[in-house]
Amino acid sequence: MQCWSFPRSSWVLGATRPIWGCLCVHPSYWASETGAMFPGGQVAPDPAPDHLPASQPIGHTLNLGQKGRQSAADPGSCGRYCELGVPCRHLEAMSKDATRTLGKGSCPPGPVPEGLIRIYSMRFCPYSHRTRLVLKAKGIRHEVININLKNKPEWYYTKHPYGQIPVLENSQCQLIYESVIACEYLDDAYPGRKLFPYDPYERARQKMLLELFCKVPHLTKECLVALRCGRECSDLKTALRQEFCNLEEILDYQNTTFFGGDCISMIDYLLWPWFERLDVYGIADCVNHTPTLRLWIAAMKQDPTVCALLIDKNIFLGFLNLYFQNNPNAFDFGLVC
Amino acid sequence: MSGDATKSLGKGSPPPGPVPEGVIRLYSMRFCPFAERTRLVLKAKGIRHEIININLKNKPDWFFKKNPLGLVPVLEDSKGQVVYESVITCEYLDEVYPGKKLWPEDPYEKARQKMIFEVFTTILANKKTTFFGGSSVSMTDYLIWPWFERLEGLELTDCLDHTPKLKLWMAAMKKDPTAAALLLNVNHQRHFLELYLKNSHEACDYGL
Repeated sequence: MQCWSFPRSSWVLGATRPIWGCLCVHPSYWASETGAMFPGGQVAPDPAPDHLPASQPIGHTLNLGQKGRQSAADPGSCGRYCELGVPCRHLEAMSKDATRTLGKGSCPPGPVPEGLIRIYSMRFCPYSHRTRLVLKAKGIRHEVININLKNKPEWYYTKHPYGQIPVLENSQCQLIYESVIACEYLDDAYPGRKLFPYDPYERARQKMLLELFCKVPHLTKECLVALRCGRECSDLKTALRQEFCNLEEILDYQNTTFFGGDCISMIDYLLWPWFERLDVYGIADCVNHTPTLRLWIAAMKQDPTVCALLIDKNIFLGFLNLYFQNNPNAFDFGLVC
Repeated sequence: MSGDATKSLGKGSPPPGPVPEGVIRLYSMRFCPFAERTRLVLKAKGIRHEIININLKNKPDWFFKKNPLGLVPVLEDSKGQVVYESVITCEYLDEVYPGKKLWPEDPYEKARQKMIFEVFTTILANKKTTFFGGSSVSMTDYLIWPWFERLEGLELTDCLDHTPKLKLWMAAMKKDPTAAALLLNVNHQRHFLELYLKNSHEACDYGL
């Protein structure tokens, strides 16, 4: 395993170290020529295209060939060539997970075809969103089965003991659940762009950052529920702002665009789903006092993977309205078929 | 005597110097189950380390620079890099140091062990192997062990009467050389708990 040593002497110790200084990466770490984060010196790679658009003929597989490296200088093409010798283009396919949910009484799905991984998901769930971001970012061939969370199919409990999402299932019938474990598994098991750093210390640092974030999901959910039930939630919002201040401090001290450095990486994707939801949850003002975090949000919205999975605001609001009315059709809101 | 049998550092104590090259330092507390996880991994992998015990009822100010949360365990290396959160420290040690890998190499097997760790009480009913990882002791066993080790001291061993598999697992763990080497002294633990509940500053050093 590669180990990138972190020169302690390059730390600028003169500046006042914030509380979370121990978690900050030093900017010079990312300035190195070899591009410590990504092997082969990739810079801000685009997500690999999905290799399973319905329109592709069977047998149209993509292999890396001579020009396997993704190139940021060549937008619109990932630089790969399929076996037919044709350059591959990003395909503006409809969102992969735009399918009706399966509920009670539905037939259990068949086994997962070879070469594919399946994710049991729900279009608006932030935890599933994490895993879908990783699938997209790494260009992993996958299929999505949405589950009706208010009316779960009986067979679904054979996939997860408590019927939770997300769950990954592969063609060997192996099941992986817990969103972070699923994301890590995908990064480990699939080749190509690595989202977690190679360096064990940097990896540990990203995991510690994730711990720092751990109160946010609960707080955002509580705010949402309070607002939707007509209760005031100023205490909750204050608590949430405090959590955001911690994250702000890290970004300020590091002076990097993303939490892992100047390139987007796993930690950014793991945090993102909750920030995407601030607006529709009605708590966007919680980042009013954290300008660096707002810059991070803007930078995330520029990321091709994040963009590809961005949920339409009106559809999300429609879902929330129905969800809080306990309507079991909520989960299918906005689907055309 | 165990390698961590030193008096804890409390408020007003001078901060320790840098960690010598070739050694990793663990900030710990002798009776803390979370810190014990890390000590188990250090032992199991034969990693050269030094231990500084922290008085958790009277923490030194400098300790918050190591971990802003002021909790143990915390690892610090000679480059000044700090890792905290018990599971993260265990994983870090497994990745950085050579020798026996405690997490499996196979991505699915590793994910499976992590899931087991998350929901182990439910999985227990279906457990068919001696240890949580399989036929030999591994990371998941070490992560869970500290809590079961303490059941005797807390007089909770009756809880296991309806889970014979778990009782067998505990017996197997006590035979594991690593767990045996770090086995908690029940008497010490009882006295520690008494003192701890009274917020005594002497709790962490009981038995030294």
